[in-house]
Amino acid sequence: MKPQHVPSLDRVAVGDTARVVDVVGSDPTGLRLLEMGLTPGVPVRVVAQAPLGDPLELEVRGYRLSIRRADAARVAVASC
Amino acid sequence: MESAAGRDRNRTRLTAALLGNPNTGKSTLFTALAGIPTRIGNYPGVTVEEKVGRFSHAGRAIDIIDLPGTYSLAAQSPDEQVAVDVLHGRMKDVPAPDCLIVVADATNLERNLYLAGQALEIGLPTIIALTLSDVAAARGVAIDAEELARRLGCPVVPVVAPTGAGIPQLRDLIVAAPHAPPPPRPDLATHLAAVDGDRPPAAREAIARYAWIETVLAGAVRRSRPAARTLEERIDALLTHRVWGTLLFAAVMLALFTSIFRLAAPAMDLISAGMDQLAVWAESILPPGAIRSLVVDGILAGIGGVVVFVPQIALLFLFIAILEGCGYLSRAAFLMDRLLVAAGLSGKSFIPLLSSFACAIPGIMAARTIENRRDRLLTILVAPLMSCSARLPVYLLLCGAFVPDVAVGVSWLRLPAVVLAGLYALGIVVAAAVALLLSRTIFHGPPQPFVMELPGWRWPQPAVVLERVREAAWSFMKNAGTLIVAVSVVVWALATYPRDERAIDAEVAAVRATLAAAAGDPARSAAERAESAAELAALESDDGLEAARRGAAQRQSALGRAGRLIEPIVRPLGWDWRIGCAAIASFPAREVVLGTLGVIYNLGDVDPGEEEGATALVRRLRAARWDGTNRRVFTLPAALSIMVFFALCAQCASTLVIIGRETGGWVWPLVTFSYMTILAWLAAFATYQIGTRLGW
Repeated sequence: MKPQHVPSLDRVAVGDTARVVDVVGSDPTGLRLLEMGLTPGVPVRVVAQAPLGDPLELEVRGYRLSIRRADAARVAVASC
Repeated sequence: MESAAGRDRNRTRLTAALLGNPNTGKSTLFTALAGIPTRIGNYPGVTVEEKVGRFSHAGRAIDIIDLPGTYSLAAQSPDEQVAVDVLHGRMKDVPAPDCLIVVADATNLERNLYLAGQALEIGLPTIIALTLSDVAAARGVAIDAEELARRLGCPVVPVVAPTGAGIPQLRDLIVAAPHAPPPPRPDLATHLAAVDGDRPPAAREAIARYAWIETVLAGAVRRSRPAARTLEERIDALLTHRVWGTLLFAAVMLALFTSIFRLAAPAMDLISAGMDQLAVWAESILPPGAIRSLVVDGILAGIGGVVVFVPQIALLFLFIAILEGCGYLSRAAFLMDRLLVAAGLSGKSFIPLLSSFACAIPGIMAARTIENRRDRLLTILVAPLMSCSARLPVYLLLCGAFVPDVAVGVSWLRLPAVVLAGLYALGIVVAAAVALLLSRTIFHGPPQPFVMELPGWRWPQPAVVLERVREAAWSFMKNAGTLIVAVSVVVWALATYPRDERAIDAEVAAVRATLAAAAGDPARSAAERAESAAELAALESDDGLEAARRGAAQRQSALGRAGRLIEPIVRPLGWDWRIGCAAIASFPAREVVLGTLGVIYNLGDVDPGEEEGATALVRRLRAARWDGTNRRVFTLPAALSIMVFFALCAQCASTLVIIGRETGGWVWPLVTFSYMTILAWLAAFATYQIGTRLGW
């Protein structure tokens, strides 16, 4: 389980960039996040959030990706 | 070695598979290589689209299989599983490919090489097509294709599909591919060793593969200027803006919705008029009788009922293809996702559901844009609950005739308008409840990944847009058309047979006798007698007699008998058997209910769409009494009950046929019909009973 002190991607403010530390869980969604390029060490910028607050728009590896906050919460990040 | 065996079998014809991520210009490349597909269908047993094109080059005939867009060969969805099965020659009736073309978006090479890396492990001769290389160059991204080819061990061709640049080289390579050695497997071993070992194998592989991609691209891709905030980013910021983004979204959707409503209308009117002309012409050359009735009321009416949907389908798919081509479709899903998640759906359900307010058929077809099976099926199941344009005439006629025009609270807010709005709201609320219930019960399962790429902004390709429109219209006419015509013919037969001329004459004579008695009955008021006398005079005219005979024939037909048979079921809804008949007859299409009521109440063929026909029908409905009593049939609770029933019921054979076509079987149309009919009955029952108790 994710330790409480590690910040997760859903807490990153819009416009900020963080570095992926880990994707928690080995279910299909967790694997898909890795396959889409959210691998440890990669920088991710939170570009925007949808008007109702969810989902998020990310920039990773030079393209735009949208994921829901619930899934972003599984991506542990560190500031960079 | 299945693929080797496949290669030997197909010496004359080459088979190439086209693999790539979604939104990579794969469709544009397919069109550039092969033009219009020679075959579009479903793979056996699954509802994944199979698209095959054909072209000749250097004396060889080449079949090109367009695989579903996929992000990974570690298949998670049926689409991805199909891609894997075809590539390994495991798909029944699909020849094992001789070579593989991997489409890689040059503007997004890092992520696109993930799939390419997996494809290189299959062991087929592989060619990498770098699409959108012009867009990448314009953004200052320089890709050294030769260096990349050397590192990957397979040919890499930059292509600009819309202009045709790179296409001849690609064709040369496809023809030469069977003689080329398969590429070496990407060397993941050193990268795997660097990943810590306590992760599951699939996760380790994904991490190692991106590490491999970084080494492959290092030095082969150069950015001549830093990726600054481009125009594209500013557009994006505007479109996802809390206020402006929402307003723009509303404007785009309003334009889409009104155009499928309004722009399609003239074309639909033209088609209806043309079909009417054809019917008149058929009537003029065919002798009166069963054949003429079959041709005019069965077959031509059925064909008209199919063709009339084509303008809406074409317009909606034109819009969708343009929105998809420029990248807005994903943004629309992004904006609406939160709202629809609350109902157990996803952002991608929005356009199909919105379109369903015009007509459920294009709406259900538009659900093809939802990749996720569960979300797609849920969307298809609730789409027919949106109040489509075919319900509107029923609502308008009954609201206008039986809902008292009184103010609700404020003087400008009239009750009929409130009822009308309530019927639309009813469909939305019930759809949300059904979707939520289904997503918690039979569709319950692990959370579905919503991991959606927001593709870069680009101009839609006219060839791809037109192909989408053509394909949607054609597949509707070909696959649904024949079935819809067949259903129309069956319902025509039910409403026509058995036909006993003597019984019809007897019934008309009985009606005449009753009217004559009523007209001369001294116990009734002068006005009542005059009314009966007028009706009697109408019956004696040619048109009146014909209408009366048609009414009698329909009441005595299998349909009429069915109506009497189901009367115990519809009586709690406040309906007499005639309304039951009309409900059955409207199975092909809801709007038929008004026409059927016209015939059954001896009006003959009235057009409820025209004011004269509507007033005549309303007069007849107001006069309708329960058999053998003086009690009105059409009271306010009964009219509300009919409208509520039609808001929720599945009386649209075309919709059910399309659900069958889109889900690949008869299970889901049956489920849709059953749940909607049960819900419609329960809601109509509650409406009538509560309305009656409250003394409306």
